[in-house]
Amino acid sequence: MATNAGIKVNHVKIKALLTSNAMLVAYAFLLFALFGVIEVFYERYYLLSATAFDAGLAPGSKEVAEAMKAAVFGSGGEVKREAPWSLYIVNYMYMIYVGSGIIFLVAFAELMDIKLIKKTAAGFLTLGLAMILAGLFTILMDLNILHLHHMFLSPRFSSGMWLMMPLYMVYVPLVMFEIYLILAHKDAWVKKIAVVILILSLLVELVEFYVQAKLFDMNSARHLWTTYPFLTLYFMVSSFTASAAVMILYTYLIYRNTDRSKCATLMQLIQKITLYSVLALGAYEATAYLFIDKKWAEIILFGDFKYYFYAYLGMSVGIPFVLLFKDYANNSYKIIASLFIIVGTYLGKLIFVYGGNAYPMSDRFGVGFEKYGEYEPVRDVIFFMPPLGEIAICIGSVGIVILIYTVMNAYFSVSKMQENASLDYSI
Amino acid sequence: MNFAMALDYQSCIDCKACEVACKEENGVQLGADKQRIWVTQSEKSIFGEPFVALHPSQCNHCQDAPCVDVCPTGSSYFALGGIVMTNKDTCILCKGCMEACPYDARFVDDTHVAVDKCTFCYDTRIVNGEMTTACQATCPTKVRLFGDLDDEEGELITMLKNRKFYVLKEDEGTVPKLFYMLPEHDKNYAMNSVDPQTNIYTWDEFKPIIEMAKEKRKPQWQQMQE
Repeated sequence: MATNAGIKVNHVKIKALLTSNAMLVAYAFLLFALFGVIEVFYERYYLLSATAFDAGLAPGSKEVAEAMKAAVFGSGGEVKREAPWSLYIVNYMYMIYVGSGIIFLVAFAELMDIKLIKKTAAGFLTLGLAMILAGLFTILMDLNILHLHHMFLSPRFSSGMWLMMPLYMVYVPLVMFEIYLILAHKDAWVKKIAVVILILSLLVELVEFYVQAKLFDMNSARHLWTTYPFLTLYFMVSSFTASAAVMILYTYLIYRNTDRSKCATLMQLIQKITLYSVLALGAYEATAYLFIDKKWAEIILFGDFKYYFYAYLGMSVGIPFVLLFKDYANNSYKIIASLFIIVGTYLGKLIFVYGGNAYPMSDRFGVGFEKYGEYEPVRDVIFFMPPLGEIAICIGSVGIVILIYTVMNAYFSVSKMQENASLDYSI
Repeated sequence: MNFAMALDYQSCIDCKACEVACKEENGVQLGADKQRIWVTQSEKSIFGEPFVALHPSQCNHCQDAPCVDVCPTGSSYFALGGIVMTNKDTCILCKGCMEACPYDARFVDDTHVAVDKCTFCYDTRIVNGEMTTACQATCPTKVRLFGDLDDEEGELITMLKNRKFYVLKEDEGTVPKLFYMLPEHDKNYAMNSVDPQTNIYTWDEFKPIIEMAKEKRKPQWQQMQE
C-alpha cells in the first residue's frame, strides 16, 4: 500500500482485478453496451439515406436506389418525429437522479453528523458518481457526438440543456473531491474546508435538480412535464426514494459478511429514510394528477398507460410501504422492498418520459387527431418501442457502474468503513 | 421584414405537389416521415356520411418560438424576417426542439444526423431576394401565400385584411405565423375543420399580438446569411 496526496492507494495486481467476479459481471453488461454502440452508430452514421438531389447527382447508383427503397419500406430512421425522447432519456434520468440522490442523502447525513453514514460515505459517493457517469454515457450515445464541440463553440446559456454541461463539469469533480476528502481524513487542511465543500455540494445538488426540471419544463408543448406541480420537488422525492432503495441493496451486498451488526444498523437507518421517501412520493403522486393537464392525465390514469402507472405505484409505494412499515428483523423484507422500488421507480421514469410524448401533437385544429399520410393510421396515443441498440446501451450502462465502482474500490478501498473517521462535519 | 404565410386550406386538393416541390428544391431527405411540409387528414362524418378535412401545414415560424429557447447550441435560431432556422452543422441532436414544438414540425434528417424543418426556402429563394416559396409556387389551387407582415400594401396583408383567419394552438403562446384562412362561403366546411373554441381573428385584432411578440424577439433576429 502506498500513500499519495494523503490517501492510501492499494497495490493491485491488474490481472487479478480484471478477472475478478465483479469485473466479469461488468464485462457481461458492457458487451451489451458494445453491441448497442455498434448498432446505434451503424444506424446513425452508416445507414443508407438519400435526398432528392442524390437521384439527380448519381443516376443509376445502386446505393441511391437502396436508400430510396429504404425511404419507402424502411423503419423511418432512428428518431420518430412524434416521440423524439425515448429510452435513452429514461435511463439517463434514472441513473443521474438516483446517483445524485445518493450523493445528496450522504452529504446531508454528513452535515447532520450521522456517524454510520460518515463511515461508509466514500463507498456511497463512489456508487453515486458511477451512476452519474453511466447516465452521462447513456446521453452521450443519444447525441450526435461529432457535433458536441459546439456546446463549447456556440453556447446558448439560457437553455436548460446547455446548463447541464457546466453543471456536470462542476458537479463531477466536486463529488470526486468530496470522496478524496473522506479518504484523506488525516489531512488537517481538508478538515477546515470540509463543511464549506459539503454545503457547496448540497447547493450544487439543489441546482442540479432544478436544472433537470427546467430541461423538461421548457418543452412547452408537452403538458405532462409543464403541468407537473413543483417538478424540482418531484424529481427530488422520486430520486430519494430510488436512491435509498439502492443504498439498502448496496449496504446488504457490501457489508452483510464483513460487519453484520453495523450492516443491520445501517440498513435500519436507510429503511427509515426509504419509508419517509416512499410516503412523500405516494402523497405527491396522489395530488399531482389534480394539476396535470387532463389530456395527459387521462392517458396515464385511465388510458393506455394505466397498467404501467398502477404497477409503478404498487411497486414504488404500496408494496414497499407494507414491507418497510414494520421493522422486521429479517433483512429479506428490506431487500425485497428495495428491489421493488428500484424496478418501480424505473417504470415511473419510463411513464414520465413516454407519457410526456403520449398525447399526439397532431390535434392541431381541435377537430380530432390528424394523420400525416394516406397509409398511416390515426394515432390517439403515441408509443414506439425503442430500437434494439438503444435497449442494449441502457442495459450496458449498468456495466459502467460496476466497472467504475470495482476499479475505485480495488485501488482506494472505498467500501471499507472509515473506523477512525475524524472529519468533523457537524455545524 | 417579418415573413409569414397564409393558407387558404379550403382549396387544398391533397395533390402533394407542395411536398414534392419542397423536397426537390431543398434537398430534403426522402421518406414519408421526413417532411418539411405536409398535408394532414382528419376523418369525420356528418349524418353518417364520411368526409376528410385536409390541413396543409409546416413549421409555423412562431414569433415566440420555444424551439429556439431550448436549443443548447444556437442551432435553432431566428434568421432575417423572424424565419426560424436550423443550422445542421451545430445541431447536437438533443431533440429538445422537437419536444418543444407543439406542431410536430421538426424531424431528424438522417443524411446530416441533425434536425430539419421548413425554412420558407430561405437558402434557395429568400437570400436571392425572391418572395415566394417552392410550395407556394407549385400549388395549383393557390393554397399558400407567402409574404411580409410589415408590408402594408403587400398581397399577404391585403388578404389578411379582407378575410378572417385563425392560428394553431394559440394557447401555447407561441404566436405562430401560419394564418389559416377561415373557409369562405361554406359554413359547414368551416364548422367541421376547426374547433368552435378557436379564436377567429381579423388582421386589426391580431396585429398587436404579432407586434408585441416581434418587439420581444427582434433583437434575436440575425442578418441575412449568404
